[in-house]
Amino acid sequence: MTLDLTASSDRAVCTTPTRTTVARDHTDQRSALLLHDVRLARTGPAEPWVPSAAEHLAEHTARIGQRPAGTATLIDALDEAGLTGHGGAHVPTTAKWRSALAGGGPLTVAANGAESEPLSAKDATLLRQRPHLVLDGLALTAEALGARRAVLWLHGDDTGTLYAMQAALTERRAARYPEPWLEIVSGPGHYLAGESSAIGRALNGGPALPRIRRVADADGGPRNLVHNVETLARVALIARGMPPVRSTLLTVLTPVDRQVIEVDRGTPTTEVLGQTGWLHRGSPQAVLLGGYSGMWAPWLGVEHLTFDETTLRSVGLSAGSGIIAPLPHGACGVAETAAIVGYLASMSARQCGPCLFGLPALAQSLRLLAHGNAPRGEQSRLLDDLQAVAGRGACHHPDGATRLIASALAIFEHDLREHAHGRACAGSRRPTMPVPAVTA
Amino acid sequence: MTRRGKSTTAPAARLRIDPAACDGIGVCARLAETAVELDRWGFPILVDRPLSRGEESAAQRAVRACPRKALWIERAPDPAFAWPPVDASPRP
Repeated sequence: MTLDLTASSDRAVCTTPTRTTVARDHTDQRSALLLHDVRLARTGPAEPWVPSAAEHLAEHTARIGQRPAGTATLIDALDEAGLTGHGGAHVPTTAKWRSALAGGGPLTVAANGAESEPLSAKDATLLRQRPHLVLDGLALTAEALGARRAVLWLHGDDTGTLYAMQAALTERRAARYPEPWLEIVSGPGHYLAGESSAIGRALNGGPALPRIRRVADADGGPRNLVHNVETLARVALIARGMPPVRSTLLTVLTPVDRQVIEVDRGTPTTEVLGQTGWLHRGSPQAVLLGGYSGMWAPWLGVEHLTFDETTLRSVGLSAGSGIIAPLPHGACGVAETAAIVGYLASMSARQCGPCLFGLPALAQSLRLLAHGNAPRGEQSRLLDDLQAVAGRGACHHPDGATRLIASALAIFEHDLREHAHGRACAGSRRPTMPVPAVTA
Repeated sequence: MTRRGKSTTAPAARLRIDPAACDGIGVCARLAETAVELDRWGFPILVDRPLSRGEESAAQRAVRACPRKALWIERAPDPAFAWPPVDASPRP
């Protein structure tokens, strides 16, 4: 784990550490997800700078009470609450439940705690702070749907979270907490190990690689229902009759750290960034929403918005799994995008041709443009490849990359034109995003 | 009218591919020229519309000929199996 101070381009922010544990304005403090906000390094696992103990089972039940039994009426409660998934796609939870109920084979419910997105830390933070809340949600879902197995799926690299969850599970078993048998499965550490079809495949004895559903395997085959851990934590709160989804978990990248914060839905974007120490020395030029497979948005386009998914979607944006990474003035959006796409290309499962060949081609075009030594016509080749790759993988990995590039082409249009004419800006030599090193 | 026992009201056939199984061998593009074209890396791009009757028999040949068994013809207009899947990430 390294603290990447050299990549910071806005040093003034470094000198003004801000308190992030602001008093939240929840009318019902019990419906909050996090015990407190955390700060952690810009890259690497979600180890908070100030370690804190996970919530014990006794504290958990004292705070929000015993877990009710998971019954068929839970689906109505979730419908009423309008719960959507917090893994990034924001699919209505009950829609996934209904399609899981429609099949005939043995059902596996999985809590997805494998957070592959390098910028995101909210899932691991939630698991480490409140393991029992997530396990409650998993047990409730398994009970309500009559699942054969209930699994917590973690990333192979994330040992800190694994230990926290093992301790929590041991505690529950020692207390003879009445619930279905819960398992922890630690998957491989690669990027696509957190993709839901890869999880389903791995839990049924296959490799942890994405796949598409063929019509032939639908009937009577094993069914999988994969939910993000934050979604399941919310299921646990809704089942207890708590007011639904008032807050949202966000990971905010600042020049010196990452911060996992819980903000009320509808908090203005300026307030979210101000709270994390941004905006001390002027506003950023753009923000990256949803992490490396998300999209760029111009600061002027998001400044006046309030931060919740409905508002963002109404203007064609999405925060994905709740990641905001502002890009300071002076940084080069083209070079940042090139570095990110290079990383995404290296993280392909190498199964599908369009992703295996298309993403490196896109990354190469962007790299040439970023360095300002692209041959004539490189920009139109980039556009052609973008069209050729979008929507043609077994999973949405290539789509995330093409969406990011498409947003960069729109927002950094002027920069791109300068770069294409061989006038690379100074910022292109000093990337600010902590993109993990690409190992070929 | 029926032809070869098939009702004309049968749901329209669409050619589908499992991109993870495909190795870009390219037999399909030879056999079903109007339904399949190849990208610059030699991987098939399928037409995004129901196949006509003539195309369907060519597509059948492509399905049978595929050495990787990556192609199939889908008749069920069941949205649960629509491609791309319903849980598609948001698009700008």
